Amino acid sequence: MTRRNTRSPRSAGLTGLAGLVATTLVLTACGAGGRDDDGDGDGNGGGASDVGVTEDSVTIGGHFPLTGVAAPGYSEIPTGAKAYFDYVNANGGIHGRKIEYIVKDDGYNPTNTSKVTDELLLQDEIFAMVGGLGTPTHSAVVDQLNAEGVPDLFVSSGSLMWGDDVEARPMTFGWQPDYESEGKIIGQYVAENMPDAKVGLFLQDDDLGEDAEKGVRQFLDEEIVAVERYTSGNTDVGPQIAGLQGAGADLVLSFNTPSYTALAQLVSMKLGYKPKWFVASIGSDPNLVGSLLSQFSEGAIKDGASALEGVMTSEYIPGTDQTDDPWVQLWQKVWDEHGAKGELTNYRIYGMSHAYAFVQALQGVGEDLTREGLVEWLEENGEGLEGPQLAPFRYSADSHMGIAGMRLAEIKGDTTEPLTPVLVTDIGDAEITEDSSGQADDAPPESGIPE
Amino acid sequence: MQQLLNTALGGLTLGAVYAAFALALVLIWRSTRVVNFAQAPMAMVTTFIALVVIDAGYSYWLGFAAALVSGLLLGALLERLVVRHVDGKAEINAVILTLGLFIVLHSLAAVVFGNEYRSFPAPFGIRGFEVGDRTIALTGFGVFTLVAVLVVMGLLVLLFRFTDLGLKMRASAFNAEVARLLGVQVGRMKTLGWALASLVGSLAGLLIAGGSLVHPGYMDSIVVYGFVAAVLGGLDSPAGAVVGGLVLGLSLSFVSGYVGSQLVALAALLILMLVLMLKPGGLFSSTTARRV
Repeated sequence: MTRRNTRSPRSAGLTGLAGLVATTLVLTACGAGGRDDDGDGDGNGGGASDVGVTEDSVTIGGHFPLTGVAAPGYSEIPTGAKAYFDYVNANGGIHGRKIEYIVKDDGYNPTNTSKVTDELLLQDEIFAMVGGLGTPTHSAVVDQLNAEGVPDLFVSSGSLMWGDDVEARPMTFGWQPDYESEGKIIGQYVAENMPDAKVGLFLQDDDLGEDAEKGVRQFLDEEIVAVERYTSGNTDVGPQIAGLQGAGADLVLSFNTPSYTALAQLVSMKLGYKPKWFVASIGSDPNLVGSLLSQFSEGAIKDGASALEGVMTSEYIPGTDQTDDPWVQLWQKVWDEHGAKGELTNYRIYGMSHAYAFVQALQGVGEDLTREGLVEWLEENGEGLEGPQLAPFRYSADSHMGIAGMRLAEIKGDTTEPLTPVLVTDIGDAEITEDSSGQADDAPPESGIPE
Repeated sequence: MQQLLNTALGGLTLGAVYAAFALALVLIWRSTRVVNFAQAPMAMVTTFIALVVIDAGYSYWLGFAAALVSGLLLGALLERLVVRHVDGKAEINAVILTLGLFIVLHSLAAVVFGNEYRSFPAPFGIRGFEVGDRTIALTGFGVFTLVAVLVVMGLLVLLFRFTDLGLKMRASAFNAEVARLLGVQVGRMKTLGWALASLVGSLAGLLIAGGSLVHPGYMDSIVVYGFVAAVLGGLDSPAGAVVGGLVLGLSLSFVSGYVGSQLVALAALLILMLVLMLKPGGLFSSTTARRV
């Protein structure tokens, strides 16, 4: 018997086929794929529309990554929002209407976002989209929502796109401070307080990183010694961190999602790289990152909180550590009464906070609830809204940008220590000033429901 | 210089994992002539089994052993209960079936183990070694990975080249009819092939999980890169798979570090295309196709 035989043509063909299948898998992994072409609807974007509203209910929806790479942390946001809506419903609803909140999982994949948005619009017939999460994901549906005249409120992402062009996207409102403003605020802080730092940027390779870099570069330029970008989905950030280390950066400003904060910390530990870190608010939740890092061997990282000890970050709503803040007390009460399993987390507070703003708007518009009416009310009254946010919204007829600013803080043990007062700014070359609205000091009404 | 070294070392460690995975693909290819796309989720499932054991308070090595044993069983069971039914039909059926298994296992794991990221411990240090006053991107666990892959490669070469069992496995994969006439119990050989391949796959799963984060999709890119590595090495040769894996790991690491991480998947695809176009037998294929 010969040791090896010649390969039969049939199996050679099979190799080719297997190659084709693998190719398809790679392509899928690249995230190729466009929007569905159908589902344009007939564009009834008029003022008379009150789809999703009945005598005793208003139906709203949101898309969130409940699974996949962006799910840690972010999947908790809708559970917080739902708890607050349940709280409101249990107290009689708003103008006699109960809020029906439908959450769809898009896995942080824009193709899925299109699909679930079609479902929300056509099957569930929602009145408004509230809190839809993610820059790449929400980008895939923002035009559709605007074309069909569906209010698209409080997008859970800091991209500029949700508020800087009201004419192009009249129905869309941002919520959290945009990444450019965040970049400006940290940029100015570093320029003033750490002028000798060699700055490295660690950025997600999309609008998040781009907007942030634009902001940072208004104040820092020569100080920046390296810019490294990672692609969401590729979990090997070794080469990027090696690049920052190689360039000798001793202060890294990183704008990324929480899993990547954990990955970056792990790789830095492996490389013995110990710069000072600033982690943008979206990626810095100490509890979440800590729980991801808590299990590793040789006691390298002891427990949750200490994993991010000394890391600088920013805050624009109060978090779970501030137990004497009246807003946090309200959120704790809501979560105890209506929450799902698990503890109150900062992501759940985030969800409750935008749910609160939505209820505020429903309350303000009054009994005649229309889509146009809601948008108009927000444009007229948005800037003065009370709420957990530390700085006011920027809503007006010319801007739909969300919260105007934040304060910088350093993570110390289980809590944070403020480095600056609340600073407000806007996109472009707007100045950075200390907030004088007193927004950070307000408290919720006794009932916990906006009046 | 340090960056160059660290990028290379990171690439080698990652390449070792691709190699381990490619070895599993080679093993199943040589013993059944099927390319098993379900290898990735199978390894993911066994890694989660290890995590359950470790989370219950047992040692890392017990979890490690549990994963390997369950890998062996899972492979054998899938072959007997599922894949056996398409035996003797067109080969494409088996390949498509493994893609179906891919999706089913993935979804089941999400239901059973949850969809969250979880950290997976490592038995050795996850800090890099210190050379002089510098830390290099090679960890105790990285060394363990490289050694484990080389050992497995050695064992596979021994199995296929020097044992009766290996010969029987190859024979039954190659021509079941003739092998059966010669007294080989073809069914058993195929079950064994699946079981062993699944065992090696489980090892790859554990190696990439150690000191990092796992979730049900964490092996998905590995199946692609592992396949590219296996094709690079010719799908037939254990040594080829290891060299292919290391070459791929290094190339992708340099692409990510010096060109841009968004091009990593594209680079893998390009390598796959070039190999299939220029050297479809693989760079290290030991079989030379003879045209008659």
